[in-house]
Amino acid sequence: MTIKTLDISPVGRVEGDLDVRVEIEDGYVVNAWTHAELFRGFEIILRGKDPQAGLIATPRICGICGGSHLTCASWALDTAWGTEVPRNAILARNLGQIVETIQSIPRYFYALFAIDLTHRKYRNSRFYEEATRRFAAFTGTSYELGVTIAAKPVEIYALLGGQWPHSSYMVPGGVMCAPTLTDITRAWSLLEYFRTNWLEPVWLGCSLERYEQIQTYDDFMDWLDEDRKHRESDLGLYWRMGLDIGLDRYGAGTGKYGTWGYLPHEDKYQNPTIEGRNAATIMKSGVYDSFTDTHTLLDHTFARENTTHSWYDEGTADVHPFDRVTNPIQKNTKDFDNAYSWATSVRHQDFGRLEVGALARQLVAGGKHGESWQHQDGFILDVFKQMGGPSIHVRQLARVHELVKLYRQAEHCLREFKLNDPWYIKPKEKDGRGWGATEAARGSLCHWVEIEGGKIKNYQVIAPTTWNVGPRDGEGVRGPIEEALIGTPIYDSSDPVEVGHVARSFDSCLVCTVHAHDAKTGKELARFRTA
Amino acid sequence: MTNVLWLQGGACSGNTISFLNAEEPTVCDLISDFGIKVLWHPSLGLELGDNLQQLLRDCISGKIPLDILVFEGTVVNAPNGTGEWNRFADRPMKDWLTDLSQAASFIVAVGDCATWGGIPAMSPNPSQSQGLQFLKRKEGGFLGKDFRTKSGLPVINIPGCPAHPDWISQILVAIATGRIGDIALDEFHRPQTFFNTYTQTGCTRNVHFAYKASTAEFGQRKGCLFYDLGCRGPMTHSSCNRILWNRVSSKTRAGMPCLGCTEPEFPFYDLKPGTVFKTQTVMGVPKDLPPGVKPKDYAVLTMVAKDIAPDWAEEDFFTI
Repeated sequence: MTIKTLDISPVGRVEGDLDVRVEIEDGYVVNAWTHAELFRGFEIILRGKDPQAGLIATPRICGICGGSHLTCASWALDTAWGTEVPRNAILARNLGQIVETIQSIPRYFYALFAIDLTHRKYRNSRFYEEATRRFAAFTGTSYELGVTIAAKPVEIYALLGGQWPHSSYMVPGGVMCAPTLTDITRAWSLLEYFRTNWLEPVWLGCSLERYEQIQTYDDFMDWLDEDRKHRESDLGLYWRMGLDIGLDRYGAGTGKYGTWGYLPHEDKYQNPTIEGRNAATIMKSGVYDSFTDTHTLLDHTFARENTTHSWYDEGTADVHPFDRVTNPIQKNTKDFDNAYSWATSVRHQDFGRLEVGALARQLVAGGKHGESWQHQDGFILDVFKQMGGPSIHVRQLARVHELVKLYRQAEHCLREFKLNDPWYIKPKEKDGRGWGATEAARGSLCHWVEIEGGKIKNYQVIAPTTWNVGPRDGEGVRGPIEEALIGTPIYDSSDPVEVGHVARSFDSCLVCTVHAHDAKTGKELARFRTA
Repeated sequence: MTNVLWLQGGACSGNTISFLNAEEPTVCDLISDFGIKVLWHPSLGLELGDNLQQLLRDCISGKIPLDILVFEGTVVNAPNGTGEWNRFADRPMKDWLTDLSQAASFIVAVGDCATWGGIPAMSPNPSQSQGLQFLKRKEGGFLGKDFRTKSGLPVINIPGCPAHPDWISQILVAIATGRIGDIALDEFHRPQTFFNTYTQTGCTRNVHFAYKASTAEFGQRKGCLFYDLGCRGPMTHSSCNRILWNRVSSKTRAGMPCLGCTEPEFPFYDLKPGTVFKTQTVMGVPKDLPPGVKPKDYAVLTMVAKDIAPDWAEEDFFTI
């Protein structure tokens, strides 16, 4: 059987410009290349600028995860300057981060992903008619509700930061705001509105409390059978239709997963350091290796970037982000044997290519590693094992499962604010190096900063999609999305909706990935070593 | 029906995401109530690959009428004017833009990147980015100073990083309902209705401004952010305190200095060391003053204002 090559430009409905090449044999993808097709060069822009320039510039790397970038930029400066961050400020930063992600989940699900359930390919599914009624672009009942109600949680962000997207209210030493009781009451009310108008009646078909009883795959299937409202909720409908159309049968990927951890604890991270971070986040960091079923901690020194197949002239060795010599090539010709993307391949020094994102977070949350007080939740890990590993469908469940947990964390922040206590402690600016990390909705994000002579000497970002969408690495190993595309069945090569399903199941956001790399004129930067 | 094609160049999607927060009308209302048809959008459009390329070609040929082209993000010219660092649908985005700009009845540039070049065009501008008809304050940009769309209007600029959703939706509705003639554009092609007043108009900290009571540190409920923390509210054309963000607030209300993000110079001073969140002063007087105010007069006004300031001007104003 001959191999047919298919170039898809653009894939669309992934944020930013993603092109994909696949080779198809007997109706299945047998090889794949993902390439990011846009370059802005934020890191060169930041070089030589004010130490706090990242607070203004990096949220503008990505309009979807701007709050996540702001979080990283702030914590990076906190660790560089050795600040003290009052607990109110930690809670206020966490709340901003949480509501940004709560915003993202329904918009991702309805606007980016579920539209394709109305694709004519699925017209023979018994769920098709109902899916079309709910999920059709712009006019579907749930589409319209889900996309517009997502504006509510970020009103809470605006109460803290004045606006969303693109505020800079988080600063080293705390936050700029000092909310009043009115702000807190309105924030509670906005959360409640989101819960009672969409999350419970439309998405879950039950109370948060009932949903929270689900601990295992069997619990979930019992919940589905228990009540017609559960089955016919958007989550119930999606789950049943996904199984019917086979979303559980492809899109696997690397089988190894990473998360930096997120939501620093308000009492345990007031004197932030790079070394103390792993023990101080509520949602723990880690790597889950599904082949050996083991969990280990993740440390920033384990990160490596490789540019063998990227449009940079930087050799073929793996380097830590702090050690990158960034030098884009002028002529970015697509050459699938050599360089074909602005994304770099990111690796873990021991585990190689990792998938990041909601599935990774939830698989790590199932581990027994970390601190006793850190969040633990074995549901998705159990689903993963019961269903025989990763797929588009498990990835989606992991993503939407976070909604309820993040909702509870938002309540925690609101409950814990002490309105008369400080929100900001003015730090002393100094030279040094810092690292800030978090989990954006779509995966692990981190910033490295080096300040020298009162200005930025080096600023490096690794975005979630850099991990997921990266090209082949120095050893020729495919990136997570490239790997996930292998085995994808293609029904109609003139309209390969399945490729879109796989790419979008990662909630890819190219606007970070392809913008956050440095354009340097070939001059080697002064460097410092890690570890 | 009014056909809208929305494309992104060197963008962060921030304007798209901001636009999704619009409530009156919502994005879905625009379609159901105002007859707007979204031909394609990077985050919301259905087509991928060849199907989209065909749709773009049909817009260029006129087979599909292109009523409004919305552009978000910069025009990337790197490397060396080729635009190859921003390929889209298999060719440089700037080439698509050249062709589509000839076919569109109206072009709306949303956000700072599409209007002035924004942050990507900040020194040293590695992507050789431009706005559609401006680069910073300089007229011209990618399409040239004299460019006019088929409607006779230049590119309608809706600056801001990001643009407020209401600013975007109201301009789209004005075009779709034949009311764009009511909208006057200023010298920077900005609709005056949103950009004639200053960010300060409506700011809840105005009384502190009047008595020169300053917020010296962040995390305060009192004081004006203009004197120490670099707020540009008195000098920035925007309606941020009249048409609130996310319906509930504005940066200055929350305690964040206005960054002046609707002005062509944003980010001011190119974020050079010592300029971020710090008011630049000359002899103790802010270097940038409200337009039309003389520094010498302002120094006198400051003295008088401080002299007459009541005690409460320095007290916590918005208590718990």
